[in-house]
Amino acid sequence: MDTGSVRKFYGWFTVLGLLVGGLVVLGYYKDEYREWRQYQLKFIAEETRRATTPEQKALAAAIPVGVRQIVLPDLHRVDRCTTCHLAVEDPSYGGYPQPLAYHPLHDQHPFEKFGCTICHGGQGRATTLADAHGYVAHWDQPMLPLRYIQASCAKCHEAADNPSAPELALGQQVFEQAGCRGCHKLGGVGGIFGPELDKVGTRRSADWLKKHFLTPAAVTAGSGMPPQKLSEPDLEAVTLFMLSQTGESAPGYYASMRVIPSADEGQQLFQQKGCIGCHSVGGQGGKIGPALDDVGLRRAPSWMMQHFRDPQSVTPGSVMPKFGFTESEARALTEFLVHLKERKVASTLPSLISPIDRGHGTYVKYGCTGCHGPDGRGGVPNPNSKTAELVPDLIHVADGFTKDELKARITNGQREIPSLDPKRPPPPLYMPPWGSTIPEAEIDDLAAYLISLKPKGENLGF
Amino acid sequence: MNAPLPKSLWRMFQRSRVGRSIFRVGLPESNLERSQAMVSSFLLHIQPAKVNKHSLKPGYTLGLGLISLYLFFILIGTGTLLMFYYVPSTERAYDTMKDLQFVVSAGLLLRNMHRWSAHLMVLFVMLHLCRVFYTGAYKPPREFNWVIGVVLFLLTLGLSFTGYLLPWDQLAFWAITVGTSIAGYAPIIGPKVKYLLLGGNIVGQEALTRFYALHVIVLPAVAGLMLSVHLWRVRKDGGLSRPGEAEDTVERIPLEALPQNKSYGLMELARGTTPQVGKNPEDEVFSWPHLVFREMILFLIVAAVVLFLAIFWNAPLEQFANPIHPPNPAKAPWYFLGLQELVSYSAFWGGVVVPGLLVTALMLLPYFDRKRVGVGEWFARERWAAISVFTVCLVAAIIFTIIGTLFRGPNWGWVEPWKTEQPPALEEH
Repeated sequence: MDTGSVRKFYGWFTVLGLLVGGLVVLGYYKDEYREWRQYQLKFIAEETRRATTPEQKALAAAIPVGVRQIVLPDLHRVDRCTTCHLAVEDPSYGGYPQPLAYHPLHDQHPFEKFGCTICHGGQGRATTLADAHGYVAHWDQPMLPLRYIQASCAKCHEAADNPSAPELALGQQVFEQAGCRGCHKLGGVGGIFGPELDKVGTRRSADWLKKHFLTPAAVTAGSGMPPQKLSEPDLEAVTLFMLSQTGESAPGYYASMRVIPSADEGQQLFQQKGCIGCHSVGGQGGKIGPALDDVGLRRAPSWMMQHFRDPQSVTPGSVMPKFGFTESEARALTEFLVHLKERKVASTLPSLISPIDRGHGTYVKYGCTGCHGPDGRGGVPNPNSKTAELVPDLIHVADGFTKDELKARITNGQREIPSLDPKRPPPPLYMPPWGSTIPEAEIDDLAAYLISLKPKGENLGF
Repeated sequence: MNAPLPKSLWRMFQRSRVGRSIFRVGLPESNLERSQAMVSSFLLHIQPAKVNKHSLKPGYTLGLGLISLYLFFILIGTGTLLMFYYVPSTERAYDTMKDLQFVVSAGLLLRNMHRWSAHLMVLFVMLHLCRVFYTGAYKPPREFNWVIGVVLFLLTLGLSFTGYLLPWDQLAFWAITVGTSIAGYAPIIGPKVKYLLLGGNIVGQEALTRFYALHVIVLPAVAGLMLSVHLWRVRKDGGLSRPGEAEDTVERIPLEALPQNKSYGLMELARGTTPQVGKNPEDEVFSWPHLVFREMILFLIVAAVVLFLAIFWNAPLEQFANPIHPPNPAKAPWYFLGLQELVSYSAFWGGVVVPGLLVTALMLLPYFDRKRVGVGEWFARERWAAISVFTVCLVAAIIFTIIGTLFRGPNWGWVEPWKTEQPPALEEH
């Protein structure tokens, strides 16, 4: 037996054995000493520093080191943010630098129920700073900048209904009034030129959106969207409103909590749900159900709550349908009805206003403003169109159309817009058919409104 | 001479009551014991007691087959551990990937080891196939073992491909969408095969369930079985190929020619290519330690490389699979990119005819090229014709794969990888 060649093997075994062993140790070390560990040790050190009695010191030293997580099956989330942000529930950590800062709002949104990422975004399952905050490749929802945090309120709350999110409400207002819906669909309502905006908040960053509003072509080559003239606060607000469009809504427990019950919210629900179709207020409205003017004097709030849950359970034989109100919606409606006497709501209810006023609402609601300008004054550029390369104003439609012709035009649209110069590309904007989007009654109102735009007494000049 | 400390410790254990009950021979001291060690141990008996010196030359086999086998073992080990966490559900699979990365002890390391071993195994099985071709080791009597080898190569691709879908991210989803649509180009049976694989017309929960079952049970079991046959045939066909083995082979006397009224021992019935112990004793050495120790060293090297890759490079994980947002271009796994490049010229010719012919040609190769010349020798001059044809096909496959991997950008258009391009803005319209 050649012992020399066997010796050689033992040398190899030693070297390679040490190499593999070293790599295993290195792999273990990388796995065991993860980034979050240093933050937890920092927290334990701070707790120990604060402790005054030996018992407190023992408690601080006994804080377990390990991953912490909030499991939220209804929200399809596991949030491990508290692995590093250990003091979010401890007010005595107010003003501490991150990751040990205290987080207010625990009462309204208990973290053990809501977690963190439902509002802040980021990657809840991750446990490194870069991954968790989401500023890494292949993660599409980085943390929402705090500047725009109100956008997250819209996942549960109506924009207008949350007094803590005024900028969100402003953003929605700007969106509705700037005529965005003329080209973009949101919630199934709007035009067809631009992309739908239902989940725009998950696709676009705040910077992109702001650039897009001011100079659309700079971020989307060939975009036909006209640049928007927005004041700085309006720009920020509408950006925030866009970020709020995530298509995500919270189910179950969260849905039942989402309305902040107030008389204002109640009035809005009262109008939205069409209560006035059966009930009357101030003599206006339907006659099927009882008048509601003094219902607050006749019925206890608890009776009303039960009535909203299940009308037949308190009024056998009632024909009122079960609307499926959530608890907080029912509370808001009750609040509204109790205070009905002092609110003078009759004059603001939608069915009580004139068709022309309603038509104006329709005009704004479906974004006609986007092309035809506020109050039909026109002005959006439409290159190479015969009408002075602008979308025509609507002030004088009454001269060219009967009401029925106008309704037909709105319903069917006009695909071909005559070109000024046949050699140039045809005008990019055209009148889409709105018949499938706007209900007939609203088209009727809209036509009435448009005809009313003609300045009074103008004919007398001829 | 003092024995090194590990050796004396080992000897103490081996002489104890427990040690003696486990090891029938123990660390061999004499040549007799060296033979007994090989024959009496379950793990070692798969190999011969003595082995030809030529088979031990690192420059001959390059250890490629053994490396593939070791990678297969590592894949089974890491894969089993990953199965403890993985859930084959379109809703949860991606989350389990994230959990492996962020909270499971050594989860990321396991996944990385599994991923890199899988890529390496595809590579080394290909290299092993090339080695066997260039050394003429598929020639008679090893024709059928070559066919089994080709089947093992296809199984390796199948294992890698089915595993590719499991993370359920964008990379997985679109690679499998592209890969299975290539399968769908075959005439008549193509769409049926695709439907059978996916359990539907698109990649969804049914596809994930099927790929999972194939990946963790069906294909490993079949591959393990074929592997056993492959190794068994290596010995039954006369060990590793070597130069001049044709002359070494004892002419086999047909059974019919033997006297029929005599009872025969096993050795007398064995095929003629069984290694002839003692015919050229100076060419042979004892497997213990010469073969076994070399094998152990190779395992340590493979383990070190896989660990090194797994510690420093993470397996990719892209966004959650999104069937309405295809990446542009959507690419198959790298070993199918040559095929995808061919498909971009013609779905039928590139996706069906060329790969079909190549696999058929590989399977039938030893039945046409069966002259026993140039066996056991790299690039034997007498085999220039076969070597030229094989090399042209191999180089073409490599070039197409490189083009498909590096030179193809959006809409499968030509890009030059050294030019850093602005990623095109996502168009919403």
